[in-house]
Amino acid sequence: MKKSLIFKTFPIFIFAIFALFGFTNISEKNTYKCMIQMTNYTGEGAYIVISLINPEGNYEKTLFVQGDDEEWYHDIINWWKFYGKKRLNIDAITGATVSGGGRTISIIEIEANKIDTGYKIRFESAVEDQEYYIKDVEFDLTSQTVKSKVEGTGFIRYVRMMPQ
Amino acid sequence: MTISIWRYSHLALAISSFIFIIIASITGIILAFEPISNQLQPYSIGSSNNITLAQTIIVLQEHYEEIISIEVDNNDFVSASVITNDGKNETFYINPLTGEKIGEIIEKAPIFKFATNLHRSLFLKSAGRFFVGLISFILFLIAITGILLIIKRQQGIHRFFSKIVKENFEQYYHIIVGRLTLIPILIVAFTGVYLSLEKFSLLPSHTAEHQIDYENIKTTPKKQIKDFIIFNQVTLKNLRAVEFPFSDDPEDYFNVKLSNKELIINQFTGQILSTIEYPFVKLASHWSLILHTGQGSILWSIILGIVCCSILFFIYSGFLMTLKRRKKSSILKNVYSKDKSEYIILVGSETGNTFDLAKIFYNSLLDLNKTVFISELNKYSSYKKAKHLIIFAATYGKGEPPSNAKNFITLLKKNIPTKEISYAVVGFGSLAYPDFCKYAIDIDKTLQSNMLFKSILDLHKINNQSFEAFKNWSLQWSKNTGIPIQLKEPPKKNKSKKESSFSVESRSLLNTDDTFLIRLRSENKISFMSGDLLSFYPENDPIERLYSIGKIDGDILLSVKKHEFGVCSTYFSKLNKNDIIKASIKRNPDFNFPVWATEVIMIANGTGIAPFLGMINTNKKIKSHLFWGGRNEESIELYHEIIQNSIKKNGTAYFYPAYSRVQEKIYVQHLLKRNSSFIAKTLDKKGAILICGSVAMQKEVIAIIDQICQKINHKPLSYYQNKGQLKMDCY
Repeated sequence: MKKSLIFKTFPIFIFAIFALFGFTNISEKNTYKCMIQMTNYTGEGAYIVISLINPEGNYEKTLFVQGDDEEWYHDIINWWKFYGKKRLNIDAITGATVSGGGRTISIIEIEANKIDTGYKIRFESAVEDQEYYIKDVEFDLTSQTVKSKVEGTGFIRYVRMMPQ
Repeated sequence: MTISIWRYSHLALAISSFIFIIIASITGIILAFEPISNQLQPYSIGSSNNITLAQTIIVLQEHYEEIISIEVDNNDFVSASVITNDGKNETFYINPLTGEKIGEIIEKAPIFKFATNLHRSLFLKSAGRFFVGLISFILFLIAITGILLIIKRQQGIHRFFSKIVKENFEQYYHIIVGRLTLIPILIVAFTGVYLSLEKFSLLPSHTAEHQIDYENIKTTPKKQIKDFIIFNQVTLKNLRAVEFPFSDDPEDYFNVKLSNKELIINQFTGQILSTIEYPFVKLASHWSLILHTGQGSILWSIILGIVCCSILFFIYSGFLMTLKRRKKSSILKNVYSKDKSEYIILVGSETGNTFDLAKIFYNSLLDLNKTVFISELNKYSSYKKAKHLIIFAATYGKGEPPSNAKNFITLLKKNIPTKEISYAVVGFGSLAYPDFCKYAIDIDKTLQSNMLFKSILDLHKINNQSFEAFKNWSLQWSKNTGIPIQLKEPPKKNKSKKESSFSVESRSLLNTDDTFLIRLRSENKISFMSGDLLSFYPENDPIERLYSIGKIDGDILLSVKKHEFGVCSTYFSKLNKNDIIKASIKRNPDFNFPVWATEVIMIANGTGIAPFLGMINTNKKIKSHLFWGGRNEESIELYHEIIQNSIKKNGTAYFYPAYSRVQEKIYVQHLLKRNSSFIAKTLDKKGAILICGSVAMQKEVIAIIDQICQKINHKPLSYYQNKGQLKMDCY
């Protein structure tokens, strides 16, 4: 009897394991190539922060930071309110600042379950002694937008994304 | 004290900005190390900079999934931003031959971050940046006014690099270092201003945009990157950066930045879609940055570091000079008022040095309870009780009056004295300049033309603030006026620190001129040469005595004349063999044997022969002619043996004595006159003239040689002096 019980429950076990794997499959991280093209402004290199915004409109996660001198992070006022409290380690997702007319390409990771589920991606930009744009670029994360080009409103001319 | 407009500007600019210039210089010194430490990293491509862009792209593509960009920085380090095979975006230095990663991107050290920030904005962001730009501009103006001051001092732009007369340490090195670092300072200041203007968008904009006809971008014929013509033409030497296409969309392209232009390249066909030549403003920005920061060149970084150090030195020495000048002129505190004084001393000085001697004279008159009044020439007015007028006047620039004497001659015409005044004029200057004491001569002439001014003593000219010459003048003034003044020699500072012991080797007896030779041997090994000086302080006497040294067989040979009341010469005349004395050697490189000369003429009188005895004894190569003036044939006996030995031993020396107390009175200058053409020729073919002996002899000799030069070579003696062909050590 005991043996048959094991045999009977075995498929369930298998199913449970598959189901578990299936779940992790759902929260799988996808990588995207993301290019930021700057306008021809003059002045210092721009600090740009790419963040994931949840459906409630709050910061969920920092995806990338262009600019590696923490001294100036507080210039990106809104994001600083979110990041400044905890100061998670973001060394792996920082790059150099981008100057006027330049472009930068970074690889960002977004969990698959954040696509088509009301999440947004936000590009904030600030330049020393110049303006700060909370939503230089912001758009809904959908399976269409992650392979598109979106015009900026501040220092960014446009952003292009492409799944890797 | 009045100072000239340029000096005033130079000083005012320096005062208004020095705190910030100090900050910028100190941070500048720190920052000079950044490019040096970067250059010392082993990432430079060096000689492989002539490999082509195509070669590098091919090796990189073998190693990595995707290339995002390649960059060559000012250090010649090649970095690549790539997507690695495990999908990570990384940027690092590569070896462009193999495509391998050779190092992480250098992170700016916190000290450099801090220094950069302080250097360019004082941590005040825009306001600070504006300020630093302004300071940079002020530094530029300081450099320009500095150039004008040097030109003025040197009496013309053509003499910009000729010899500077050393008045004191600060003044001498302020000018010497100033001349050497002039060009780098101008570059640093100018590029600093330029970079600031750029940051504030004050330069003409250079936003030419690429015009690409997106409608007609071709995708065929498709070529491999290794076959792109342009990638095979561009070498890493000219490359600044390449950005790779974002995707394989035909509208995405290669963006190639070269040192002088930017190209857009079709990613399929390798055709050039657009070219922008960089405008001058952009190239100038690039060079400003490189020249200002020293990126990419260890040598230039070191120069920049030195420039920063020298700026700090300028601030130090400049303020020291100013303080001294102020002190010198501000101590013109009078005991008696101008209308109660019988003696009126007026001083004209640009740098304030002449005040030192003037004050010694002033004090010695006070000591005799005379009523004296001292002031600047510009403050000349009427003096009710004046009986004596004594004028000490320096000359500035091309025979012009110093700025505190500019109005004197006009004032003189306005304030005519009511009764007769005796006057004496002393000119101060340097023989190194052609217009020696020109202004004093002018004053003397003007005074002569007025009947009420009675000359009591002829004009005297004093070279390089010589105290001995000044003392001689005062003795003559005493004689003519009957006022027995005693000048107090200014106490010499830093009494010799490192005295050492010398033993007496031999001492001759006094000859008929009361002169004797003394040979000293150093107990320690001290290096010295003929022409250096032996400094000796007699017991309980703060005044240093200096003797010119002749070096013979490693010993010090001095020729000393015993004066009846001379403490020092009497002490020396009583020394015996093996006695020990404490003294020190002062190097005197300006009066050592000129080994570069084609031929050497030595001129001496009396004991001034000592250094030359050493020189003819040692010199085996260069033909030397020693002209010596003494009293009579007995005077020479003291030196006879050494001279004859040297002539026999080396065969280079010739000796011409002149005797002044024999029937046919001949002075050394007469000998020179007889040999005019020889002297002119020697100077002309880069020979040297050395003079050692009394100031009176020096004066006569200089006058004769100057005449000879003017007449035969059509050049003033100062021309040769500035080339270092005239060396003097007179007392």
